[in-house]
Amino acid sequence: MLLKQIKPGEIVLEARGITKRFPGVIANDQVNFEIKVGEIHAILGENGAGKSTLMKILFGQYQPDEGDVFVGGKQVKFKSPLDAIDLGIGMVHQHRKLVPAHTVIENIILGHPGAGRIIDLPRVSREIGELCERYGFSIDLKAKIWQLSEGEKQIVEILKSLYRGAEVLIMDEPTAGLTALETEKLLASVETMSRENLAIVPFITHKLPIVLRISDRVTILRQGKVVASFETEHATEKSLARELVGRDILIRTERTTVEKGKPILEVQELSAFNDRDLMALNGVSFTIHEGEILGVAGVSGNGQGELVEVLAGLRPSVKGKVILDGKDVTAMSSRKRWQLGMGYVPADRNHVGSIGEFSLVENTRMNYYFDSSFYTRGSLNQHKMRAFTQELINEYGVAAPNPEVKAKNLSGGNLQKLIMARVLSRNPRLVIAHLPTQGLDIGAIEFVRNKLHEAKENGAGVLLISEDLDEIFSLSDRIAPMYEGKFMDIVPIEQARRDAVGAMMAGITLEEEI
Amino acid sequence: MRAGSYEIKLVKRISLTNLRALMLSVIAGVVALFAFGFVFVAAGIDPFMAYQKIFSFSFFNDFGLPLTINRFIFLLLCTYAFIIPFRAGLWNIGMPGQLYAGSLAAFGVLHVLDIGKSTTSHMSPLIIWGLMLAAAAVAAAATGAIAGFLKGKYDINEIVVTMMLNYMAYWLVSYMIKEGGPFMNPGGRGESFELPSSLHAPLIWGSPYTLLIALALGLMLFHMFAKTKLGYEIRAYGQNPAAASYAGISRFRIPLLVFILGGAIAGLAGYHYFGAVPGVYKIARNYGFFGDLAFYGIICGLISRGNPLASIPVAFLFGGLSVGGRYVQGELGMSFGLDYALLGVLMITLVAFQFFYQYQIVTTRIRKETSDVGILH
Repeated sequence: MLLKQIKPGEIVLEARGITKRFPGVIANDQVNFEIKVGEIHAILGENGAGKSTLMKILFGQYQPDEGDVFVGGKQVKFKSPLDAIDLGIGMVHQHRKLVPAHTVIENIILGHPGAGRIIDLPRVSREIGELCERYGFSIDLKAKIWQLSEGEKQIVEILKSLYRGAEVLIMDEPTAGLTALETEKLLASVETMSRENLAIVPFITHKLPIVLRISDRVTILRQGKVVASFETEHATEKSLARELVGRDILIRTERTTVEKGKPILEVQELSAFNDRDLMALNGVSFTIHEGEILGVAGVSGNGQGELVEVLAGLRPSVKGKVILDGKDVTAMSSRKRWQLGMGYVPADRNHVGSIGEFSLVENTRMNYYFDSSFYTRGSLNQHKMRAFTQELINEYGVAAPNPEVKAKNLSGGNLQKLIMARVLSRNPRLVIAHLPTQGLDIGAIEFVRNKLHEAKENGAGVLLISEDLDEIFSLSDRIAPMYEGKFMDIVPIEQARRDAVGAMMAGITLEEEI
Repeated sequence: MRAGSYEIKLVKRISLTNLRALMLSVIAGVVALFAFGFVFVAAGIDPFMAYQKIFSFSFFNDFGLPLTINRFIFLLLCTYAFIIPFRAGLWNIGMPGQLYAGSLAAFGVLHVLDIGKSTTSHMSPLIIWGLMLAAAAVAAAATGAIAGFLKGKYDINEIVVTMMLNYMAYWLVSYMIKEGGPFMNPGGRGESFELPSSLHAPLIWGSPYTLLIALALGLMLFHMFAKTKLGYEIRAYGQNPAAASYAGISRFRIPLLVFILGGAIAGLAGYHYFGAVPGVYKIARNYGFFGDLAFYGIICGLISRGNPLASIPVAFLFGGLSVGGRYVQGELGMSFGLDYALLGVLMITLVAFQFFYQYQIVTTRIRKETSDVGILH
């Protein structure tokens, strides 16, 4: 409906002078942005740069404090996302909003005004089939959502928007959680869609190669302001990174090899159920030595979460043995394992690794509350606890005005620094780091990786779990690609090839080339 | 929203200081009293005179003040019984059941020692008081532990369990004290046998010694939450069970423990009212009234935001108003239930004002030149 009135190359969606304030921060400060028909216009920015605020304003979830939104040259005031959808704006969320027990079709027509009370399934599936054909999606429309991979779910989200008549597609981190193969397919489809004169706005944190590859134009946000906006053909990875963080930066960890010591963690034939009582971890065995990083490479949901939880004592194992520093800890509680030298950095730093309503002092206490040196006759030495927290804050450069602020007010990177500081200050023998840099900005990623490497140099054994092959390859001494609850292999870094590891993450063993 | 040249907006609060919370509670209290004033006006009574009577009787009268203090001790203990699980994110709705169990156990001690029938005892009263207190605490803790165990082990909703246990305990008390029951009063008035006068609880400043227990418990709980390992574990579990287990805090032990502690204190409340308040000294026929009153521990706990020391003045106020409300009802010839109506209005207003713990109203003046493009929400 929208594109009938607008010719290719003309501006379809425009934001002028958008300002949005939240208590204490200006999330968007006089942001200008426009997208033309048939264009892919990437928006790049670190966490907290104001990407999601802008996206929510364009989609009608937030109303701007100042500034206006124009669709097809006409000023609009969205009261809710419904208004935006009616005008042909669609949103593909990073956290998929699908009903797992329903089929692909059922999810696509959920809430569709044209579906009516009695659903004409043959007609609907014919129409969706046509959409798939047009844009090159291949998906089983009768499959249930829980059976799909993350990449396929992403496709369902896109189809859902397209079927509702979206002609401007806003995508939040479209490749997050996808395997290399799925990313390729998705990017190909995105290119097809843009040739069909859809306007596409991907929001991306730090995957610069993707931006360079698919987008026509890129706008970079920093601290709520547009700092640059240019045609992508004039950009390089380096120039994007410079604009993104405001200084020259390249993530690089110098990996050194240190003398391998005695085994610190031995895992034998470990199996465990997931929350749905399915065998998610299926007979995994490995050993980590002092001064070694074992990188588990895999797409989330292949049993890494269960592996980590069993190792940390938070999930019972069905079978197998865990030996920590020579002691069989298989049946031991989590706290005993902490006391025996386990240090665990969880994937969900907001809901597992920290308590948002607690101050930084009390968050630091999470790994020290059972440490008698902070108590005098059972009563907490508050002064000592606070001083200790301040020390960690200084040492790790956590940006916080004082140790009494609540953890929920820290940015992701600063929170992760605090968690790392707290865990590593215990001098753990074994460090378990689960997706330690997920969602962090470039500066924080560099910091976290260096700290893990430092822990290894100090003689700890490190279990690194990551989806990011760059991270796995830059840190690990050995790499274990994980697929459907099993390690496909354990490869020393010297013999590891990216394509082979990437394929094994998808369950494929490449033939040895001679 | 706009009013004249001002824009009024609801803004989510980032933080709430204790002082601001206190101010909000005071404002809410004033609003509630103002609103309830219309009840008096409707009955043709001057509200100022009515409130003056309520407050002077409850807090400044030689007859009223002891009544207030007795209710205050009871409410305060019930508040603690609510607060301890509340800080662990769990809701103890079972104070009535727990205090019934505690009262039965306290009187059970006398029954077992065969003191109820004969009025003399060979044991020192000190030992018997100790036994009664301990029995009340243990029995009520056991009642609470049922809910805590089921929550910790099988994640069964603690609200449902404690609520159900209330009914069981209620009818158990009936069975024990009504005609034919083991604790029945020889006079057969549908109440339990009376404490012999030698076992009447010692008074301190004219109040039962349980006052000291209640105040001391306030300090101990405050210290526990602020400074001890257990207090930290409870608070961490209450804020975020997933983060707590990450830190090595047991998801079984904490629910069990908070319900044992909370239950034990509710048991003391039962002992206090039926075993230590002058002029009662028996499980009264209207024991259900005190079960209902125990629910005000929830309100006091919420208003004081789980702070054991802040709940002391709050429980005092609620105790006083429940006494004063009943008094003016008789004094001014008003209809039945005025006291609970007053507490009810106060409660609803205070709970409604919790909205302002989350949000604040911000007014900004709209500048002339931009007022024509002001954003309408």
